[in-house]
Amino acid sequence: MQHLITDIQRFSLNDGPGIRTTVFFKGCNMRCAWCHNPETLSPSPDLMFYPSKCISCGKCFTACSVGAHILENGLHIIDRKLCKKCGKCTEICYAEALVMSGREMTVDEILFEVCQDKAYYDASGGGVTLSGGEVLCHTDFAAKLARACHEEGIRVAVETNLSLPYDHIRPLLSEVDLIMADLKLYDEEEHKKHTGLSNKNTIENILSIRDIPMIIRTPLIDGITATKENLRAIAGLLEGKENLIYYQLLNFNPLGASKYESLDAANSFSNLMPYNEEEMSAFGEMLSDINIRVKVGE
Amino acid sequence: MSEIQFINTYPADKYYTYDERIALLRARKINQTEEKAKNGGANEDDYGLIEQDVYKFELQPNHENGSIYGYRAWSENYSRLIHNHPLYCDPIDAFVGKGFLFMERLRPKQCKWNPDYPYDDLKEVFAKYDIISGIDNCHHFTPDLQIGFDLGWGGILDLLKSEREKHDDSHHEFYDAEIMVVTEIIGFLNRISDELEKLSKLEKNKQLSENLSEMSRINRNVAAGRPQTFREAIQWLCWFSMLSRTYNRGSAGGQLDEMLRPYYERDIKAGILTDDEAVFYMACLFLQDSRYFQLGGPDEKGKDMTSRVSYLALEAADKINIACNLTIRVHDAMDENFFIKSVEYLFKNKQGWPRYSSDNALVEGFMKCGYSMELARRRVAAGCHWMCIPGMEYTMNDTVKINLLRTFEVAYEEMMSGSEPSVTRLFEIYKKHLKIAVDATGRGIMHHLRYQTKSQPELILNLFQHGLIKKGVNITDGGANYYNMCMDGSGLAVAADSFAALEQRIEREGKLTYAELDAHIRANYEDYDGEYIRQLMLHSQRYGGGNSLGDEWAEKIKDVYTEYVRDLCREYPGINFIPGFFSWSNTILLGKSVGATPNGRKRGQPINHGANPCSGFRPDGAVTSMCNSIARVQPGYGNTAPVQLEIDPGIANDEEGIRKMAAMIKTIMNTGNTLLNINIIDTDKILEAHRDPLKYPDLVVRVTGFTAYFAMLSPDFRQLVVDRVTSVNPRQLNQKNFDIEKEK
Repeated sequence: MQHLITDIQRFSLNDGPGIRTTVFFKGCNMRCAWCHNPETLSPSPDLMFYPSKCISCGKCFTACSVGAHILENGLHIIDRKLCKKCGKCTEICYAEALVMSGREMTVDEILFEVCQDKAYYDASGGGVTLSGGEVLCHTDFAAKLARACHEEGIRVAVETNLSLPYDHIRPLLSEVDLIMADLKLYDEEEHKKHTGLSNKNTIENILSIRDIPMIIRTPLIDGITATKENLRAIAGLLEGKENLIYYQLLNFNPLGASKYESLDAANSFSNLMPYNEEEMSAFGEMLSDINIRVKVGE
Repeated sequence: MSEIQFINTYPADKYYTYDERIALLRARKINQTEEKAKNGGANEDDYGLIEQDVYKFELQPNHENGSIYGYRAWSENYSRLIHNHPLYCDPIDAFVGKGFLFMERLRPKQCKWNPDYPYDDLKEVFAKYDIISGIDNCHHFTPDLQIGFDLGWGGILDLLKSEREKHDDSHHEFYDAEIMVVTEIIGFLNRISDELEKLSKLEKNKQLSENLSEMSRINRNVAAGRPQTFREAIQWLCWFSMLSRTYNRGSAGGQLDEMLRPYYERDIKAGILTDDEAVFYMACLFLQDSRYFQLGGPDEKGKDMTSRVSYLALEAADKINIACNLTIRVHDAMDENFFIKSVEYLFKNKQGWPRYSSDNALVEGFMKCGYSMELARRRVAAGCHWMCIPGMEYTMNDTVKINLLRTFEVAYEEMMSGSEPSVTRLFEIYKKHLKIAVDATGRGIMHHLRYQTKSQPELILNLFQHGLIKKGVNITDGGANYYNMCMDGSGLAVAADSFAALEQRIEREGKLTYAELDAHIRANYEDYDGEYIRQLMLHSQRYGGGNSLGDEWAEKIKDVYTEYVRDLCREYPGINFIPGFFSWSNTILLGKSVGATPNGRKRGQPINHGANPCSGFRPDGAVTSMCNSIARVQPGYGNTAPVQLEIDPGIANDEEGIRKMAAMIKTIMNTGNTLLNINIIDTDKILEAHRDPLKYPDLVVRVTGFTAYFAMLSPDFRQLVVDRVTSVNPRQLNQKNFDIEKEK
């Protein structure tokens, strides 16, 4: 059984406790405009083009059967409407200017890669993080992978939006040691507006899951999620939640900008800058009177 | 004119705290570094040398080629040099002991080896395989400074004189040279004491005048006598540094905390030393010279040696925060708090200190050479990539390099001149040439051992070897207890990647033929489709990728290289040859002689650094993958194939981050690796400093094993450091490059 995986990132330090390997699934059910992993949104492979790596060999022009590679005013561009995402051009692009995001992998293949760093997980309290995309859109495969990791003595965390009904996600969560769940917006309408989905399931799951340690996170997006009202409402929701390790305020991550360019996708947050240290602390201060542990940053 | 004495340069009525004194000393050091950088800098350790134009010294050669050879010439010249050497004195410092030059470097460059002992036959082989033979290289073994503490210069002189009486004429040349040198050193230190007393009378600041007077008293005590106090012991170390550096850039320090602990405990008990003073004195010691010291680690029985002095040494390094070559030995019974503290300082200061060695891997390896566990544990970190038992070994550590890539090129050319090329055949030819190169290097080491005394006797370091004075011979003539000759392979990653690229692209995938690739290689990939093919080869499965073809080939090369080096032990009984992988700062030099290679490297480009993979070894640049790969190529006989690691400080900016980094370091050390040379470098800062070095004159980087001021390095060397930084932090850099491109 194979599954489409966007990437495997070893020595991952910001995706949970300790030193981790993060497995990025491909395909997400939300469409958050600020997403820094736009290549993981679609459930099918995507063609990414990095012009700075292009050596102008022209091989892709002849490899492409539909003429999607075009020279326009001396610039190499891709006609995305024509492109069938067949990957032929990437197979002959040795400079890796053209790459397909997403490759089919088996549990064993992923596990082999994951096991390379087991000594680091053991020493640091780390493990594997199943991320996305949205891992809950891939529960069967993810559960198999999580089970295989456990058999190797490797702890498993998920990064998720918890947006699917509990019954659907239970098979995976029973194999998970830590849930890192994002709740972007407390207000349902606002949530729908900015992510394309209701937050009803997310909130229900956050409140009802009591047997797995949880970290709840909110990415701070200026004018959208980063408001006092939103953060206080989410923090208030978490008060008294016994399996909550902490509530984390994540700074805006601008590292997705080059990926948007490589996908020729619109990036409506291209000019947004991360908050500075002082501003981040101020967000933490807004929640100082709420009786939960708040972590600011990363 | 550069100043070397700073009397009455501080306000007469000011009283300085220790922290203020450290700040002033550090500021002066940064200014001096800036001056050095403006004068051209150097691609090496700082050594604490003072650039000045007050003192000029010219050798009096004893050979028509203008060089000096043998006991008499070295002892006479050195004695004259010391006799006239002026005093560098900063009254705010706790110590004197700055040096200006290395006498060995005053010899004509091409005439270092005594021409009466030629090795022309070997030179041809060395040239063919681009071997740095180590012949005539000096020091690179570790003295036991405890001998100096126990005897003092006067005690050493007495021992030399009494032993001379017991030996026949054949040893008198040795004794006479050593006696001349030590006599002159004692005279020099007494003169320094006199001068300090005079300067104390001139200094108008009362506090500093008293300090100078105290320094005078201390220097009088250590001129001939044994150091009695913590401060005297450090003053003794400062002079040892200066005296051995001045002679021939002489080698490393040893286990600092244990050397100083008895003095610290005695003085604290007697109420004549405080922790603040101890920290200040050690900060001044680190300022005086960038000498290698080890902290912590096990004693002979495996008990952890971390003491209060170990902690204070870290605190001192933190306060002075310059190029400090401190190594923490990671072992099973390690003081966890001390280790965590060291990681905190590593990330707080971002100056490349401390670094870490692995007791388990080093001890296990050295014992395979037939040594006891007790001896193996005494082998302390003492150089860029090397360990040594203080006062027991002669090693030629880090002086011998076999260019594994040039050897590959010779084999490749031979294969291509025949028929039916294949990687199997290439490896057979490679092994043949590697064997020739290793054997010739072994003969070179034996030639060096046989005749080095006739070129450059080790008149300073000889004095701190156990039993050497009683034997009455130079260390290369049987004066050492053990001969563990270091033999490093350089360019492992490029050679392995070249084998892997050939196997993958030609034999497995059939993307092109040997003949087609060869045409591109000969054209330096600059012919039609050359760059396209270069990218094909460059993106093959590389060493460092993790269970890749490159990793497999690196292991194969490691196995045969190790076997051939160890074979030499049987050929030369009594001499132990130990393999390792390291390039020191020869990456540029060793790449220059090699044409384009099958891994997509272009003609003349540098070889890889030490045992590290080539830049771009994995798209995610995973540190863990790199370290696992390096662990797999450890030759395993007690010498190192170090991990050179560049880490962005952003990943450890809180307590949790520090804990993760501590776990990472410990795991690197516990998974078979031997040594971790680590830099915490802000990618933005290093890129900016590369563009404008003088903007950050205090930026220190661990270039190879040694730390150096980034501004002092040549553009080529700065580029190498930058390449390494970007190699393991590619994600951040991709974004940064992207931002820069956008700005354009």
